[in-house]
Amino acid sequence: MFDGLGPGRIADERPNPWLGIAAAIVTVAVATAVIYPLKQVAPAVSMSVVYLPAVLLVSAYWGLALGLLTALLSAAAFNFFHIPPVGRFTIADSRNWVALAAFVFVAAVASTMAEIARSRAREAERRRREADLAAALARELLAGSDTREALATTARRIAEALGLQSASIVLGEAEGDERRRALSLRDGDRNQIATLLIPYSLPDDTLQRVRTSVVPALEALVAIAIRRDALQAEAVETEALRRSDDIKTALLRAVSHDLRSPLTAIVAAGHALSASTLTDDERTELIAGIVSEGERLASLVDKLLDLSKLQAGRAEPRRDWVSLDDVVLAAREGVAEPAPDVRLTVDADVPEVRVDAAQLERAIANLLENARRYGGDQPISIHVRRSGTRVLVRVVDQGPGIAPSERERIFEPFYRGPQAPREQWTGSGLGLAIAKGFVEANGGTISVESLPGQGTSFVVSLPVQANSPVSVQG
Amino acid sequence: MNDAPRPKVLVCDDEQQILRALRVILRDAGFEALPASSAQEALDVAAVNRPDAGIIDLILPDGDGAEVCRRLREWSDMPLIVLSAVEDEDAKVRALAAGADDYVTKPFGPRELVARLHANLRRTHLEPEEAVIRTDGLEVDLARRTVLVGGAEVHLTPTEFDLLRQLARNRGRLMTHRDLLVSVWGPGYADDTQVLRAHMANLRRKIEPPGGGRVIRTESGVGYRFAA
Repeated sequence: MFDGLGPGRIADERPNPWLGIAAAIVTVAVATAVIYPLKQVAPAVSMSVVYLPAVLLVSAYWGLALGLLTALLSAAAFNFFHIPPVGRFTIADSRNWVALAAFVFVAAVASTMAEIARSRAREAERRRREADLAAALARELLAGSDTREALATTARRIAEALGLQSASIVLGEAEGDERRRALSLRDGDRNQIATLLIPYSLPDDTLQRVRTSVVPALEALVAIAIRRDALQAEAVETEALRRSDDIKTALLRAVSHDLRSPLTAIVAAGHALSASTLTDDERTELIAGIVSEGERLASLVDKLLDLSKLQAGRAEPRRDWVSLDDVVLAAREGVAEPAPDVRLTVDADVPEVRVDAAQLERAIANLLENARRYGGDQPISIHVRRSGTRVLVRVVDQGPGIAPSERERIFEPFYRGPQAPREQWTGSGLGLAIAKGFVEANGGTISVESLPGQGTSFVVSLPVQANSPVSVQG
Repeated sequence: MNDAPRPKVLVCDDEQQILRALRVILRDAGFEALPASSAQEALDVAAVNRPDAGIIDLILPDGDGAEVCRRLREWSDMPLIVLSAVEDEDAKVRALAAGADDYVTKPFGPRELVARLHANLRRTHLEPEEAVIRTDGLEVDLARRTVLVGGAEVHLTPTEFDLLRQLARNRGRLMTHRDLLVSVWGPGYADDTQVLRAHMANLRRKIEPPGGGRVIRTESGVGYRFAA
């Protein structure tokens, strides 16, 4: 589409000059021949007009030089063949000079007008191509979401369109050197926003075109792209703020709702204990209720503290060599009653990892609690294996699974699955956030694999150190 | 022990511990608790046992306490009190609109709950209407339409008196903005809370000692309550 913009191409549009010489000879010959029959009806001297179409034609198509040649040829042929004395040149006859002058004049006028028309057409074509280039640049720069990548593509486009060996656009200021010329791109306030680098030695007209048509279009587009990037970044930041605001709202909700429920039960039970009609069984029940609700409160407070430590970045792991089967078994003990049914398998080649044992235990315990809560009382399987330079702890439940749309959100504090029955809301909504926080604090990652209806696997991936001892199987 | 049948109170909450404690507290206060731990169970228990009143948690495992109120209201006139947490503002208003008579905020004092229960039961038990209502230095004579504050007669406009009468006759009960607007101004004014606020301010200026204890309590965003 931009091929015709190459510097040498426009000259090619002019017809071949050899063809022009041939045309001059042929048309003059034809005109000379046509005059013979016409001499029968009019004086030969008035026949010079017959040569005019030849002069016009050649001048218009092949320009002034060939037009003048045709004028001379016509004058000579007219003189030689038709002006008496026929068969030789008569320089002295003033009629010859009149005819020659007329031919030259026609050649000059016709070639000039044709040249004007041609240059207008060329100019229109050039403008059209520049508009096309600008449109293509706009598409490249504004359609993509990654401005840096778009700048590279755009520079390639410019190089192609102008026949440059290379071109590049860098954001901000850049220095040229002996091979590359740096052209500043400025925004509306004349601040330099980017630099266009093109080969240093370029034909003047190409450089001129870059300066007059490419640079202004590029300036406007790059300015818009930069503005758009800034707006996008702002939107991302706003979104992050909103998310953190959401978390605070959820925290408030949790504190006022999740803390209030056990608190209400404890306060009500305390009052009920002073009832005058209380039976012994009721007293036992109420006291057991106060204890269990108190424990629930304590566990929730622990989790809130864990989470706030993690969010404040104060969960510094105290690392030591740890064998994962120990951690998993300890985690199972750490889960609140009733103890989950855990099937643990640890591959023989699993090395010890260097982590904070207590934090990893909290992470796994939270995963187990989650698996018990959503896994529908089915056994939970844990498989520990080595995969290259990582150790993977896979916690698999047989619950209803997690829809893809939710997988991102489940690690957010206070997020609870929409299909979670309300009786399962006894969970704090913090477990997975805490698990993720502790795993990441220890250099690991946590991910979830799930198909709705087919259970859920949480995979904790921990790095293996080069000198990890292989753990002794328990 | 009292031989009169104990009023039956439907208690619906998904927290077993709260149900247990309420059963004891209500029995001690002379009621019989009919526990239910879900919306469906509450509707079933109510249909079978015809309770005299209901205490319903707003958040239930299988639905919304407001919905339970609406369903009960379809066939029963019994007083309904909803249990709510502070942040359930919208749900509380929805429940009142759906027919609940009052609400108690968790964690609640059992004495408060029992007092509300009594106040709301008075309405349906058709206690003989008192001609003169006395409270804390205030005397409202419903028959003669006079009001004494600290023994001195205070002049109220007819609207102010009607407002005071509505509140006093329902002492202890939550009167929503809508209840008051409809009973004093008529159904066409049900949403005109601006008018209500203006008259309430005038009424309070006349009957409440400046800076003193409030005879009329404001229930923010919901309504007013005459001191029990």
